[in-house]
Amino acid sequence: MAQKGKHGGVRGAVDKVADTVGGMMGKASAATVSTADSFVENAAIGDMYEIEAARIALQRSRSEPVRVFAQMMLDDHTTATHQMMSALRTSEVSRSQSLQLPAGLDTRRSSMIDHLRKADDADFDKRYLEQQQMAHSETETLLSGYGESGDNPQLASLARSALPMVQRHKAMVERMMQR
Amino acid sequence: MPFNPLAERGMPLDRQLRSWSELNVQPYRTDAVHPYTRCRAILMNGVEVEAAIFSHQFNRNTPDVKLKQILAQVRRIEQQQQKAVNWLLPAQENVLEVTIGYEQVAVDLTAWLGRNEPDPYLRQVYEFGLLEDFDHLYRYANLMDLLGNGRKAEEITGNYTEIMPGRPTIFEHRDPRDELRRPMTVQAAHRQSMLNALTLVSAEQQTMNYYMNFGNRPANPLARALYLEIAQIEEQHVSHYESCLDPEMGWLTNWLLHEYHECWLYWSCMETEVDPRIRAIWELHLSMELEHLRIAAQCLLEIEGKDAAELFPEGVQAPMTFEENKAYLRDVLARQVDLTAWDSEFVPVDSLPDGHRYFAYQAAVNKGGVPSEDVIARRRTQQGKEYRFQSDGEYPVAALQENGPHDDLGYWRRVRTQGAEVKERMPEMAEQD
Repeated sequence: MAQKGKHGGVRGAVDKVADTVGGMMGKASAATVSTADSFVENAAIGDMYEIEAARIALQRSRSEPVRVFAQMMLDDHTTATHQMMSALRTSEVSRSQSLQLPAGLDTRRSSMIDHLRKADDADFDKRYLEQQQMAHSETETLLSGYGESGDNPQLASLARSALPMVQRHKAMVERMMQR
Repeated sequence: MPFNPLAERGMPLDRQLRSWSELNVQPYRTDAVHPYTRCRAILMNGVEVEAAIFSHQFNRNTPDVKLKQILAQVRRIEQQQQKAVNWLLPAQENVLEVTIGYEQVAVDLTAWLGRNEPDPYLRQVYEFGLLEDFDHLYRYANLMDLLGNGRKAEEITGNYTEIMPGRPTIFEHRDPRDELRRPMTVQAAHRQSMLNALTLVSAEQQTMNYYMNFGNRPANPLARALYLEIAQIEEQHVSHYESCLDPEMGWLTNWLLHEYHECWLYWSCMETEVDPRIRAIWELHLSMELEHLRIAAQCLLEIEGKDAAELFPEGVQAPMTFEENKAYLRDVLARQVDLTAWDSEFVPVDSLPDGHRYFAYQAAVNKGGVPSEDVIARRRTQQGKEYRFQSDGEYPVAALQENGPHDDLGYWRRVRTQGAEVKERMPEMAEQD
């Protein structure tokens, strides 16, 4: 568990800026995704990040609402991962290309997880919710864009089916941040 | 021998209405009927019930008065067809004997569809469900024998379907969230996949309805208990199969799919029926369905501007055929008996993480006794062995052989290792340790 270090406040501020800039870049990038391989990679990494961040939150948060939310993220994004795995096995996807889930997080999401692990105890919930707001905003952009104009009907259908859940998650985060 | 229903001409709708005496068909003779003729009658009843229920739901969800009129006209004929088909079943067959017929349908229908499914994910969905219905047939067959019915299950199923354990029913009970599969899409799915999924939805739905309504008819407490337990699995199966269908296809496209589906299956029955009198019913109903399809296609064109021929450009390639699937079933048993579901995926039960919702669900419903286990235990106690109809040699999974090491089954091992909490809630399992 991270303690508040001598330079914890400065480091935390730097990490937050890095997450924010990364989140803005991620959202801008998500808006341009229209091919199956790019969609699968982005959506799957988004789910992996959510699951890992939720596990950390369940270990570190002392707030019951945050823990309840984290458990929901763990469950719902596990379901989303399973839906993606199943979609990739359908002939609707596999007859045109062989796509697989990425092996791990990308550099940006790894950094976010790292920043979350290193966050001071006192700041943890705030950092987690700030990341959640950005991450769900990015995922919403990805799902709505690919769901509308994606090149693979099965994966576009998957995007549309996950979008309402992600929008509800985002609304929950925003309500929690207003408290 | 491909068949394109959209290229055929059917009987005009105003000539389709039949009198009560025409609908009140002569039932088949239970001592002479071919097992697969019974299966076809049961299947087509399920298909007609789905047609009627779907049309009612469509009616409740459209404000279009003219469309409501057209739906009502077609639906009235579908209802007549359902009566003519379901009244083929004779009164001499009691609730449990009909149940054996229903489960034979579930086994040999699902097996045929699994063998002929072009999509690998959907094939897995069907094979997963297949092993569960296969087990139901075995449990009901033991019940029938215990009750002194005077007729063994194999006399109903013939030598076409083996009767032995599948995935044990006790382990089929899963959290409802783990019955939801990945749907196909109308844009990209193989047309045969759409027909296959709707066939299983129709068949499992009627089995669910049958057990919901007739499961309380037996006086014997064990029989009532077994029906209610398996009825809950049929509810799981309806969720399992219906979640494969495209939820975004729209009502009119869905109606077209239903009518096309009925054409395929009546044509299949007509092509494969061995009883000339009953074959004539399939032929008559096919002629009616061709007209229903034409009407649905016309509505789709007029209301949404969509051409049915673009949705179904090629016709169907082969009739759905009730036939032996013994070797296929044994192969699926050997490969998949230990699978369970987690969301839309199928995984070995051993791979579920500790504390998975599956174990909590198992503990909740299986505490205080499990009828599907009791029926086998009672048969063993009363007659020294369980009822099996095993025509093709030794059972393919050692742990489920009659005298096999039952504790070696992955399910028993995994559920037992879930710790004290589950054991406390499942005392009958703890006793078997």
